[in-house]
Amino acid sequence: MAVLEEPIKGVPLVKNYINGEWVESKGEIKDVVNPAKYETIGKVPISTRDEIDAAVKASQEAFPDWRRTTPVARARYVFRLKNLLEEHFEEVSRVQTQEHGKTIDESRGETRRGTENVEVACGIPTLQMGYNLEDIATGIDEYLIRNPLGVFGIIGPFNFPFMIPLWSAPYAVATGNCVIVKPSSEDPFSQLKIAELVEEAGFPPGVWNVVNGGRVVVTGMLEHPGIQGIAFVGSTPTAKYIYQKCGETGKRVIAQGGAKNFMVIMPDCNVAATVPSMMTSFFGNTGQRCLSGANLLIVGDDKFYASFLEKVADSVSKIVIGYGLDESVQMGPLRDTEKKQRVLGYVESGIQAGARLILDGRKFEIRGDYPDTCFLGPFIFENVTPDMKIAREEIFGPVMSVMRAKDLDEAIDMVNACEFGNGHGIFTSSGKSAREFQYRVVSGNIGVNIGIVAPMAFFPFSGMKDSFFGILHTQGKEAVRFFTESKVVIQRWF
Amino acid sequence: MGGNDMRLQTASSVISFARELEGESAKFYEALAEKFAEGKDSFLSLAQENRKYIVQVERAYYGVISDAIEGCFAFDLEPGDYALETTLAESAGYAGALSQAVRMEETLVRFYTDAAKQSESLMADVPRAFMLIVRKRNERLVKLKSL
Repeated sequence: MAVLEEPIKGVPLVKNYINGEWVESKGEIKDVVNPAKYETIGKVPISTRDEIDAAVKASQEAFPDWRRTTPVARARYVFRLKNLLEEHFEEVSRVQTQEHGKTIDESRGETRRGTENVEVACGIPTLQMGYNLEDIATGIDEYLIRNPLGVFGIIGPFNFPFMIPLWSAPYAVATGNCVIVKPSSEDPFSQLKIAELVEEAGFPPGVWNVVNGGRVVVTGMLEHPGIQGIAFVGSTPTAKYIYQKCGETGKRVIAQGGAKNFMVIMPDCNVAATVPSMMTSFFGNTGQRCLSGANLLIVGDDKFYASFLEKVADSVSKIVIGYGLDESVQMGPLRDTEKKQRVLGYVESGIQAGARLILDGRKFEIRGDYPDTCFLGPFIFENVTPDMKIAREEIFGPVMSVMRAKDLDEAIDMVNACEFGNGHGIFTSSGKSAREFQYRVVSGNIGVNIGIVAPMAFFPFSGMKDSFFGILHTQGKEAVRFFTESKVVIQRWF
Repeated sequence: MGGNDMRLQTASSVISFARELEGESAKFYEALAEKFAEGKDSFLSLAQENRKYIVQVERAYYGVISDAIEGCFAFDLEPGDYALETTLAESAGYAGALSQAVRMEETLVRFYTDAAKQSESLMADVPRAFMLIVRKRNERLVKLKSL
């Protein structure tokens, strides 16, 4: 099977994109490593406080003119970006695989989902419209306008280096704001590529900036009085911290955190279609996503339980592991060795707690000649109980914890006992069971016969409990609300 | 652990395989057009259609691929089951060449039908694009058999 060509050549140094210029950072330089080959593919700066301040200043200066640019004209910039993303679709997808390790199908899926947000933001002249009422009293009219606020910080995670900043940035700029994107320093090339296309699309300097780095950049954004709000996706502890800090500094905030999603399997499900859904849900992106299945909760008698689990285990045991640019590969590596060790720590904890390891991902074969440094195979634990660490905490790796419930009521209680509410799902052919699940389960996103409940760009990416801190969400109309302030005008003419 | 070496299990590998099959069969029709003046226009138009089919398939795939569908786990096809015989024997006459084309089309119909069946409900618009090609190819088979 073909191994596709890598787009990142040599070991380029990533620059910041500030005020329409490519600027070399004065900060410390870190390696960017391709986790499948375990080789350095680039260098990324850990930018300084001065550099984030420079980006904020550039954005503040760009804001008045950008705000005055008409929504129709702003939409055309966004539309040019959308066309450029389509033109470079394959290249940006391969960049993701090279820097993150995910399979090429997963990367293309990420490109599509990210680009769809740019596409939706092209409709800003309609989306940003307010509303009005003539004659709220005789001769007096009232109307609402949605104003942009200024400068926003967008902090992206490592697991979807291309897509996640696009849940926010296109809406922010289309509504007339300026943005500073901070990509994950582990895989910064996707956002670098987007910035190149932003430049090619002709956005005015200062409207869309990229500052690479880590904690200093994030702190700089949180503390800077010139930043009006933050959109963040990452772990729950960090999301909580960002939510608190934004409260202290008076910024609006979207803080999306972690998850521990249950996939509830009812005995009346379509088994043949459900098994592949379990594969993609639990092991897609090597389990490194907040919508991954984590706990497989099987409802039904011993016979159904054994038969369903056997089918899943059989399919999972055949997953092809390797470098995602090999088109035959179904699961790539973990992003780095630290994440691999973290997963192994959870596996050890599961074994110690008495769960039965029926598929041991420590034993695996890699297709192709690649070092095993960041790779792991899939794990399946049986006899997992809700109190075990592997059932409660987000592992962010290819681990399936199997539990049982006697009926739907017990299953829903178990799901609702979870601290997270991100993307729980049910697999059933009963409309009644599906409705009951959707109605009673506390979760921002609910799947019915869907393994990965990823909302389309025109719906909000919701979240509840410890999976989300804030009010409005990324994507679609809610993102437009987040990036604008409502101004109400009441007028009469004498 | 690890699947069979040669099987097509990911959407990307299936799309690449479809691209290869369409390319091979287009070349076959171009060779027929060169050799048999009586069917030249028909064969060239079939070769052109093949290229449209692959565009259709790619458009469907790139349009819907996302993490919400089972891109890495929707298929399990053995490429050897769909090997095309596209070398035309020197001695082959017009009738023989047409029979070979019919066999090739039947194999392609089988490939797209199997791929559509396996990915039905897992790959959104992709199986529908496959079945549209099956329909067109069945029409093509009728036409080839009538020549």
